[in-house]
Amino acid sequence: MIRFEHVSKTYKNGTVALRDVSLNIDKGEFVFLVGASGSGKTTFLRLLLREELPDRGRILEAGRDVSKVSSWRVPYLRRNIGCIFQDFRLLPNKTVFENVAFALEVIGRPRTTIDSQVPQILDLVGLTEKAGNRPSELSGGEQQRVAIARAFVNRPLILLADEPTGNLDPSNSETIMALLERINRTGTTVVMATHDKALVDRMRRRVIELDHGEIVRDQVRGVYGIDEPIGGR
Amino acid sequence: MRVYLRYAIRETLSNLWRNRLMTIAAVLTVAVSLSLVGAALLLKQSAAQASAQWQQGTRVTVWMEPAATGSELGNVRSQLESLPIVKDCVYYSQTRDYQEAKKILPVVQWSVLKVSDVPSSFRCIPTVPSDAFVVESTFANQPGVYMVTAPEQQIREMNRAIRILQIVFLVLAAVLLLSATVLILNTIRMAIFARRREVSVMKLVGATNWFIRIPYMTEGFIQGLLGSVVAIGAVTALHTWYPLHNEFALSTGALMGTNAVVLIVGVLIGTVGSGLAIRRFLDV
Repeated sequence: MIRFEHVSKTYKNGTVALRDVSLNIDKGEFVFLVGASGSGKTTFLRLLLREELPDRGRILEAGRDVSKVSSWRVPYLRRNIGCIFQDFRLLPNKTVFENVAFALEVIGRPRTTIDSQVPQILDLVGLTEKAGNRPSELSGGEQQRVAIARAFVNRPLILLADEPTGNLDPSNSETIMALLERINRTGTTVVMATHDKALVDRMRRRVIELDHGEIVRDQVRGVYGIDEPIGGR
Repeated sequence: MRVYLRYAIRETLSNLWRNRLMTIAAVLTVAVSLSLVGAALLLKQSAAQASAQWQQGTRVTVWMEPAATGSELGNVRSQLESLPIVKDCVYYSQTRDYQEAKKILPVVQWSVLKVSDVPSSFRCIPTVPSDAFVVESTFANQPGVYMVTAPEQQIREMNRAIRILQIVFLVLAAVLLLSATVLILNTIRMAIFARRREVSVMKLVGATNWFIRIPYMTEGFIQGLLGSVVAIGAVTALHTWYPLHNEFALSTGALMGTNAVVLIVGVLIGTVGSGLAIRRFLDV
């Protein structure tokens, strides 16, 4: 599903974000991406979203070479990738329903699709009751569930999560993780960058650790890390 | 497609409403500048038309004193006939000139006029238009001659005045059009800024570039359109309520042509303004 072949990325200011990274993530895998701040996790995700292009190497996503996708086709590439963030990125002036519907609306889905899909996905994330509320009226955990609903409503092949539990308390984090697992079980590949040690240790999923842009560990049923000094939390 | 249309219309209208003060400013600036453009175009067309008509029949009129004697008349007539630079002369008697005055002058003026007050005249066509001055200088001080008028000079002076007026109009209009474009650009920029969250979400979930751009394009287009509609109203009102007469009178076709230019320029400004804003501030 996702394949990196000797990918390097250096930013214009000289920061080396990724250095000769090669890896393979299969369809339906659940992968934790760990590492200190500045280790390259965010760049990894940005490359997958094609917000950045690699300087060297090849990135294959669903069989397509990301670098060769012409810029006008990038939106179509992104329709296969759902994305959630630490800060939720919901639209404050829209209701929960409208926030989720927006994702379908702006890719030109007809009203009938929206009216059938959105309630379904809100049911999945357990927010049917809150469909008419605005994000400001929700807890952080609920907001992140709305964001997940928005990311997943189009049934993407890949779900990217950039520290989705970073702003949440442990119990809300549990709910989010349960939801991501459930989504993963539908066959969606999930890549999650995180600093949440407890979570990673408990889940026992594949862990890829980055350090200064290089893969220093790739464990099938890994833990967050043993005793290295890690930045962030 | 229908989904998108509804989306684009809704977004455009809500952007216009949200930025209504800026929108009004932009629309009014477009309207004022385009009114000037329209007025300048009308003026140019009517001046060109009038002077073309005049050039055709440039003539010199030797007006006789109403009390000129028969011999004075005869003298002037024989001189005109012998002058090689004068091609053709027609004598207008006092009665004939009186009839003409009746046509030209308003009622209040000609009703107090008596035939005996009206000068008789020789209407002459010079061989070469510029010879009109020679005729003027030859006859102006002859006995029995009231005055000699050669419209050539006036035409030239008027044409110059019109040209200057027109340049002033067009320069003003150009400056205003530029500021209108910048105003529209700024309105769109503000709309984009107000919606940066929406835009980033749209990019994230895979909305196409044109899907994101078109509402802003339409917004600028509508501002330009509204401005030019107001300007067309102003130009048409000017043409209807302050019509130009005689040789200056313009046909409806000329007005329509002018309005078409105003419309096209307005829409162009709107599109260019929003296009620039999108290129600079909507990074898709």
